[in-house]
Amino acid sequence: MLTLNNITVQFGGLIALKGVTFTIRDEEVLGLVGPNGAGKTTLFNVISGLTRPTGGEAIFNKINILNSPMHKRARVGIGRTFQIPQPLQELTVRQNLQVAQRFGTGKVNQDKIEEILNFLHLEDKADRDAVSSLSLSELKALEVGKALATEPQLLLLDEVLAGLETASKRAFMKTLSELNSKYRISILIIEHDIETISNMCPRVCVLNYGQIIADGTPKEVFSDPEVIKSYTGGAHD
Amino acid sequence: MKLRHSIPIILVVLYGVVPLLLQHNNYIMSILVASLTIAGIALAWSLLGNLGGMVSFGHAAFFGVGSYTSAILTMKMGVPVFPAILFGGIGAAIASIAVLPALRLAGPYFALAILAYANIFRILATEFTSLTGGAGGLLGIPLFPELFGFNFGSKLGSYLIITSIVLIFAVIYRMIRTSYHGFALLAMIEGEDSTRVVGVNSTFLKAMMLFLSAFMTGIIGAFNAHYINFLEPDYAFSGVWTMIPIVAAIFGGYRTLTGPIIGAIVVYTVDQLIFKALIPSGHQIILGALLTLMILFAPDGLIPLFSKKLSWARRVKENRSPQTGHIC
Repeated sequence: MLTLNNITVQFGGLIALKGVTFTIRDEEVLGLVGPNGAGKTTLFNVISGLTRPTGGEAIFNKINILNSPMHKRARVGIGRTFQIPQPLQELTVRQNLQVAQRFGTGKVNQDKIEEILNFLHLEDKADRDAVSSLSLSELKALEVGKALATEPQLLLLDEVLAGLETASKRAFMKTLSELNSKYRISILIIEHDIETISNMCPRVCVLNYGQIIADGTPKEVFSDPEVIKSYTGGAHD
Repeated sequence: MKLRHSIPIILVVLYGVVPLLLQHNNYIMSILVASLTIAGIALAWSLLGNLGGMVSFGHAAFFGVGSYTSAILTMKMGVPVFPAILFGGIGAAIASIAVLPALRLAGPYFALAILAYANIFRILATEFTSLTGGAGGLLGIPLFPELFGFNFGSKLGSYLIITSIVLIFAVIYRMIRTSYHGFALLAMIEGEDSTRVVGVNSTFLKAMMLFLSAFMTGIIGAFNAHYINFLEPDYAFSGVWTMIPIVAAIFGGYRTLTGPIIGAIVVYTVDQLIFKALIPSGHQIILGALLTLMILFAPDGLIPLFSKKLSWARRVKENRSPQTGHIC
């Protein structure tokens, strides 16, 4: 599905990503964790086309996508959410999904829009203004909905559970856990909550100071001394 | 009443009542034609501003290119006036390709860049003497012809042409505004990344809005060339063709469809019929003061202000009705 080879991103003197290499397979759910500033969102930006890497290659379905602009990556099947929800302004919830579907797939299928609205429990808010009438958890659901409307093969979820109170988090987690089986897509998810990641992802990668320091099952990864060090601040002592 | 319900009334007024009552008053007809000319540019400017998210200070460039293209085609190549007007629009759209690199710029930088382009086109029109007549300009540009026994070169004919052009522009604007492309364009203004991530080619859409806005302005410029049948660079590329439509659009409400049109008609007719009578020289000062007040107290413009007042009055009425019923 997606293979990253030696991805490096440098902002002036700061190295945000250094030789990141990993593969995500078809229909795999892969968790990406790491301390703040580890480079997780930068990696998402590289995959989705928001940030151009200094070096390396990203092969998606056998094609190097690094020279493709952001909108083309969405059209070939890479969907993403933003950490801070970015609903399309001045549009209703339904129109948000319609625009995403129209431009992401080239057509509008109302049945699929309804299906996404129902799946994300947004059907009651479908015709309301997306910016002014949604709660944070609904905005996060819409963010996922927009990405789903583009019919992605790979979905990048950037801290979709962050900021949600416990009840909403639990409900939204249940929805997210059904995503993979219902839509049969690969999911790369950034999440700080280790319990959530352990429950959702059979495989986890840990990023620290722009480098992958561990890759394996949650049990293997979270018992790795280097990972524990990175979280307790001792990695670069 | 919603806009679509008012359409038959608007058409009857524009094509029936106005010609019937005012066709013999050349002065009023001239003011109407001029205000609709400004309305056309204001609508094109608003399309770029509202849907493309770009503030332009250089629409005079497209107006000038459109007017010269049509004038030269009719005078030097014998192209009939109506097709030449269409080519005027195409000429302006082609000229806007020169502005494409400026699309990378945001906010005031784009506005300044496009202002510079307007000056470049004015200088070109002045220097290309063999084609444009240089600073002396072009005299005797063909008027609108007589068709089916009706003289479109008359004041009434010109009024009917410019009215039709502005209405067609309004229909095009509305069609785009209510399409998925329009939704994406509106969303782009607040956050381009949020649209690009779902597959919207934002650069392409912005370029399309620039071409269309330039095309529309060029058509108006071409119309004006055949209406006044004279052109010179300082007139055709004058900053007036940028500033007055901006004032009209902001006054009426540039984020609405009817705002720029009503703004242009109100601003120009009130200025010419009332302010000019009060202060014959420097009457634009009142317009300036009015615009300042509008920006301070009703920045969304006249139409949104009236809509708000109307819905407020409706709410008050609805709240009162049941009480009255209860008392009775």
